[in-house]
Amino acid sequence: MSASTTKHDMGFSYRLYCLLLRCYPAPFRRIYAQEMARTFRDSYRAAIQQHGRSGVLRWWGVVFYDLVISLFIEYRSAFKKLLNPIEERQSKNYMSVTNIIFAQRTDIGLKRQLNEDSVISIQPEDQQVMERKGILFVVADGMGGHARGEVASQLAVNTIRDVYYQQESDDLAASLRLAVEQASTRIYHENMALSPQPEPDKIMATTCVAAVVQGDSLYVANVGDSRAYIVRNGQPQQVSLDHSLVAQQLREGLITKEQARDHPDRNKIYRCLGYENVEVDTFSEKVQAGDLLLLCTDGLSELVPEEEVVSIVQQYEPQESVQHLIERANEMGGKDNITAVVARVA
Amino acid sequence: MKNEFRKAEDMLPLTPAVLHILLALADGERHGYSIMQEVTRRAGGQVKMGPGTLYGSIKRMLADGLIEETGERPDPALDDERRRYYRLTSFGLRVMQGEVLRLQQIVRLAQSKQVMGGSEAIGGVS
Repeated sequence: MSASTTKHDMGFSYRLYCLLLRCYPAPFRRIYAQEMARTFRDSYRAAIQQHGRSGVLRWWGVVFYDLVISLFIEYRSAFKKLLNPIEERQSKNYMSVTNIIFAQRTDIGLKRQLNEDSVISIQPEDQQVMERKGILFVVADGMGGHARGEVASQLAVNTIRDVYYQQESDDLAASLRLAVEQASTRIYHENMALSPQPEPDKIMATTCVAAVVQGDSLYVANVGDSRAYIVRNGQPQQVSLDHSLVAQQLREGLITKEQARDHPDRNKIYRCLGYENVEVDTFSEKVQAGDLLLLCTDGLSELVPEEEVVSIVQQYEPQESVQHLIERANEMGGKDNITAVVARVA
Repeated sequence: MKNEFRKAEDMLPLTPAVLHILLALADGERHGYSIMQEVTRRAGGQVKMGPGTLYGSIKRMLADGLIEETGERPDPALDDERRRYYRLTSFGLRVMQGEVLRLQQIVRLAQSKQVMGGSEAIGGVS
């Protein structure tokens, strides 16, 4: 078989499979069609290389069988959702329990070698814990050479989760603050364990923004320049404080918003987790149906203009929003790791 | 999404596709096609998983917190296209261990009843 026939066959098969993908329910297709088409193409290529035309025929056999079975499963699940939206919402299979629908996503971006961001979304299965402590979201942007930023941000999100849910107190803002403080101490001890007198550029550290939604209350704690926003009726409101030198100068009226945007030092922060003691800012707000909560690292907020972020989170469901936000930041250069959590109060 | 409060036993039994995907991810993160290759290789070609079953299972496993996405990047062994990578969560690991234990118990039960004509024959079935 000549190379050109193989190529021709592959193009035809690929296009045919892409057409068949249109049979899947739209929400499923939007998220997975591209990946499925790629996987099809890779498997097709492997089949032709290993077994020639008979391999291709066998592969199409697998694909057709798979298509019929998985279409049945996907439509059955979409149909069930349609028939019984309330039961679906309470089911353990979906991300929307009580009245919050959320999604998280993190991406390495286009310029970095490592993804040093970490993200976590916790929705307690235990109804009592859920009612008392609510849902927790944490986003952290790690710093420190030799992959240690990744370790720092991962330690931060895990420690905040563990400490927050272990607190007996009903003062959720205080529990969240304590969790963030303990995360800092934990990273500090890791730093000390590695070197009692570390050089400043070898210290691992991380920003963090943590949010809890419990009933109609929102609590936010932050250190560094990762942000939390509430978008209500199309208006974004930042509910975190950037601990960056530039943001501080802006708050003090020393520079203008325009100057801040292009400032060469805008990435420098004066507070982060990784020290024995850290000052944590906490905020509390009331949320209402229709509100959108967004947590993100500066890989997003630095690149994608606020208006555009608002338009994306309003237009799509959280699962698609996080994907679009990351795509947009990558289109704008993707110079840093990008992480976003979007939650809709239903 | 992770969920630390759920019991692994509640997720059992797993479908064969889900168990195979979990096993494929047991030694590190992979993208979709790499999961598929690993499943086919490990099962000696006996299990053929198509893209629909693979991504349908991935969708449900993400929602159940068994796996998580670790970002998109190209696979140096393939081409320049960015692929979504997945890894096991600690919950996913516990669920996989639970399932393997459950299967072990079934094998033990079968051995005790000597359904294979003697316990040593079990290992030889292909």
